[in-house]
Amino acid sequence: MVNITVTVHLHTTLQRPTPKGPLRRLDITLPMGSTLADLLDRLSLPRRDDSVLLVINGRQADAEQVLHDADEVHLIPALSGGVPT
Amino acid sequence: MEVWRVNLREQSLQREAVPEGWSRLGGRGLSARILLDEVPATCEPLGRHNKLVLAPGLLVGHMLTSCDRISFGAKSPMTRGIKEANAGGSTGLHMTNMGMKALILEDQCPADGNARSGWWILHLSLAGARFEPADDVVGLGVHETAPRLLKRYGEKVAIALIGPAGEMQLCAAGIQNLDKDRVPSRIAARGGLGAVMGSKRLKAVIFDDAGGKKPPIANREAFKAAQKVFTNNTLDHPQTKTYQEYGTPAMVRTCNAFGGLPTRNFSSGQFEGAETISGEHMRDLLLKRGGESETTHACMAGCVIQCSNTYGGEDGKAIVSPLEYETIGLLGSNLGIADLDTVARLNWEISDLGLDTIDMGAALGVAAEAGLMQFGDGERALQLLAEIRKGTPLGRILGHGAAMAGRVLGVLRVPVVKGQAMSAYEPRAIKGTGTTYVTSPQGADHTAGNTVRAKVDHLDAKANIATSRGAQINMAGFDTLGACIFAGFGFMVKPEVIPDLVNARYGWQVGADILQVLGRETLTLEREFNKRAGFTAADDRIPEYMRTEPLPPHNSVFDASESDLDSIFNW
Repeated sequence: MVNITVTVHLHTTLQRPTPKGPLRRLDITLPMGSTLADLLDRLSLPRRDDSVLLVINGRQADAEQVLHDADEVHLIPALSGGVPT
Repeated sequence: MEVWRVNLREQSLQREAVPEGWSRLGGRGLSARILLDEVPATCEPLGRHNKLVLAPGLLVGHMLTSCDRISFGAKSPMTRGIKEANAGGSTGLHMTNMGMKALILEDQCPADGNARSGWWILHLSLAGARFEPADDVVGLGVHETAPRLLKRYGEKVAIALIGPAGEMQLCAAGIQNLDKDRVPSRIAARGGLGAVMGSKRLKAVIFDDAGGKKPPIANREAFKAAQKVFTNNTLDHPQTKTYQEYGTPAMVRTCNAFGGLPTRNFSSGQFEGAETISGEHMRDLLLKRGGESETTHACMAGCVIQCSNTYGGEDGKAIVSPLEYETIGLLGSNLGIADLDTVARLNWEISDLGLDTIDMGAALGVAAEAGLMQFGDGERALQLLAEIRKGTPLGRILGHGAAMAGRVLGVLRVPVVKGQAMSAYEPRAIKGTGTTYVTSPQGADHTAGNTVRAKVDHLDAKANIATSRGAQINMAGFDTLGACIFAGFGFMVKPEVIPDLVNARYGWQVGADILQVLGRETLTLEREFNKRAGFTAADDRIPEYMRTEPLPPHNSVFDASESDLDSIFNW
């Protein structure tokens, strides 16, 4: 099976603690055809969680979106304020 | 509550009953109402007919978390339209303790009289108003002025003051207020209200609330119950932790991810040095440095979010407090500077001069494009700021902000609307905030309705019209309540807590949509003032280059249709 590798950027409270300090950027390899939801599973993050903004290559995305090799994924704890909900 | 009206020329105070038409407004909405009722919209902003209004929001005075903000308002010398800028700190709280619904500063202090310098300090207490010469503090930066005034008037007073830039009546000058630790860091920064105060020859206003008391509450039990719900919802919200730990600088990586981080005079939306100016990096750095560094700090007493910080240098000694996202965006990536220590030093200088970091960052970006400095050269940026302190012609040009700098230096890429610089969200990548910049009666200002946090495709101009409209209405509502933008997520858990609080405080029967009612009323008043000042749809436009020059990395332009922009307030 062919794999893809995506770069994941973890923001603020999603950073992973390591002995060398917080880890906020990591490459993750997944089977081709994987979705953002699969990536969230791999990171043990909830699939449907309105408190995290999902961003692929600079655009907001939803969990069903299929990932491609070399995608840049940002997982951002949502920071609201002022905007209508 | 009363309206306190000070005639600066006569050095007299009148305490008046609140007119019926003003009683149901506070903060930004009340400021707009007063300006519309009393200030000729076509007046010279730095002349004697302009008035400086201070109005605490409707909910100020009860240590309700994140709800003690003070609004300053006047006709702006920068936009030449209506202006409101608000700040945290202790000024609003002291005013309400003294029973002030609003303070209206009229006319201008006399240039002669007891003050050799021609500059004055206005001292307000329950005993009334007195004027004292400002001779010993005139010309001083705010960081030296505030401790001197505290020594003279007592540690417990609140102070609103200007720096040298306000004295020079530079259009990017703001009005600073003391935070809960008495640092003059809480600036009503935007649109040149410091210049208006300077035009009145007023260096500082002292508020001594000794003998005062909290404003009355119509239904104490109901207020307490609503306050408890709001406080708990705010405390329990996951975002409170994020703001406490990272503060607004968390936005650096977010905006960079969206391709909307202003870089090198708004020529790119991504900065290769974003990592080292990020909130995450800043937190690591401050925790390592320790000393006076604080990753969490409250700007107002009673705030449970505490999003502010104290930025310490390598030796742990404070360089500046706070260091906020907008400042990092405009003085960091926008100047090609990837080093937070440099950004912090620039921030301290700009604050000490009493200037708005947003318009100054934008002005320096324009200066760099004009060849006055190289992007990335922090030392040169500091030299240019020193020109402002010296009051040289170049310094004064920069101190008037980006629009003036662009005009004088022959730069066409100037990120302003209505003469006021954009905040750290590129309108070609975050089009909802761009729509706010364009259509807000305040000129380009993210606090008038920022959409970066909305779940929306930020590149879709059409979809962002409604998002901007909603954000602008809500923000005008929050500004009228005296609520910080970050109180918003606490309120939104249970929005009915807003009418509950207002009704309990005042004994009114406002409906569930009070936030939007206040917001729409405020925007309507502001637009009417601007209309009378001569504004038309032509003023609600983005700089031309942002419609024609694609912005990397999305290679997008600002493409909201003019008809959508012109009908955004047709509710």
